[in-house]
Parts: sequence; C-alpha cells; structure tokens
Amino acid sequence: MNNRMELRFDALAENEAFSRMVISAFLVQVNPTMSVVSEVRTAVSEAVTNAIVHGYAGTTGTVVLRAQIEGNQAVIEVEDYGCGIADVQKAMQPFYTSHPEQERTGIGFSLMQSFMDGVSVTSSPGSGTLVRMTKRLEA
Amino acid sequence: MLESRRTGDRLCVHLSGEIDHCVAASLRGEIESLLRDPTVKSLWLDFSDVTFMDSSGVGMIIGRYKTMKARGGSVHACGLHPPVDRLFHLAGLHRIIAIAGGDTEHE
Repeated sequence: MNNRMELRFDALAENEAFSRMVISAFLVQVNPTMSVVSEVRTAVSEAVTNAIVHGYAGTTGTVVLRAQIEGNQAVIEVEDYGCGIADVQKAMQPFYTSHPEQERTGIGFSLMQSFMDGVSVTSSPGSGTLVRMTKRLEA
Repeated sequence: MLESRRTGDRLCVHLSGEIDHCVAASLRGEIESLLRDPTVKSLWLDFSDVTFMDSSGVGMIIGRYKTMKARGGSVHACGLHPPVDRLFHLAGLHRIIAIAGGDTEHE
C-alpha cells in the first residue's frame, strides 16, 4: 500500500498531542505493531516539540507534518519555517540543549535516532528546519 | 493531571495521561508547589496511568530530582509501562531514580 498525507498546524504546544494522534491514525491503516506506533509517536512528538520550542521559540508559525507509506516503509517529515539551526551536528549531540533553564534534556534527536531507522536534519538559519525520518513497518 | 497523597515524609504523586512538553510545564509547577513543604523527604511518582511520555517528561523528572537532591531527599518511580520504562533507560533516569514495580499502594 502506498499513501500520503500532509498536515499543517499552528506552532502551539496544544498541537503536540494532536500531531501524535494524527500520525497514529495514519499508520493504523497498515496494521503496524504497538511498538512501531509507540516509537513513531515518540519520534514525531520530539520533532514537533523542537519545532515549537526551538524553531519558533514562543513566536507564531506553522508546523508541517508529512507522512508517506511506501511499501513496508514510512517516511515522516516535520518541517518548520522558524529560526533554523546554525550547527546541526552540535544540536544533535546527546544532552546538548540551548534551553537548559526550561528543563530541556537535549535527548530529543537521540530518541528520534533510537526509535526510527533513519533521521536526517536539513536546516538553514533564518528559514527553518526539516527533519526527515524513516521507519520499517514490518520486522 | 495529578493527584497526590502525603504519608509521613513521603509525597506520592499519581500522574496520568500523556506527559509531553505541553503538560510537563504545568506538572512542574504543581509538583514544585507541593514540594515547597520542606518536610517532604521522598517523592514517589506513580506512572501506572501514564499512556505516553517523551523527553519533556524526562526533563520534568530530572528537575524534581534536583529539587529533592538539594534537600537530601530521594525520588522513586513506579508503575512504568514498557514504553515509559524504555524511555527511563534510554535517558539514564534509572541511574538517579529508584524504580519499583507495581504502584505506591503496594509498596
């Protein structure tokens, strides 16, 4: 089965739960295991939270969640048009955070990498960040 | 969403629902206000009704660990479902937080 969806929503913390519901509902069509759904939900939650907390840092903006099922693989993208990341490699280091005072742990990218099969980040300061993740849907 | 119960110097906090960035901020405020009482020496967090948690929840737990550590107290967690338990291990929380099986009612 091949299928695609795209969802655009405001960069509000309330939409984090909404984005998790949408990705779960989209994946259910291909009958994934509970553990796959749980892993994808967590990875999407981390990416969407990054877009809201870091990409827009409390300002308004749009977050885009795209998902595509291609055979036995899901490709999921989370994009924002916020401030971007100057040094992606540094941002992806475990426990690095630009906001320690907000109790950010700096493990968001590490969790995305643990839970997904592939994670790539494209960012340019001033124009936004695109996180692209892939996940095999069958063991 | 949170319910709490005090027994001696122990404060048990029953968490429920999904703990993400949106929810963690309010939990942080609610638990910190309960911890203003300096006679609380051990904080028990019951996760048995927590259906989802991400790194924002981890940050909230580490924050409360720091509060308790500063007064020579401790933090305990119980009722972890497999996805939350896995997150605890990936984040290294099991190294600073004592994890018990079951819920606080049976400890």
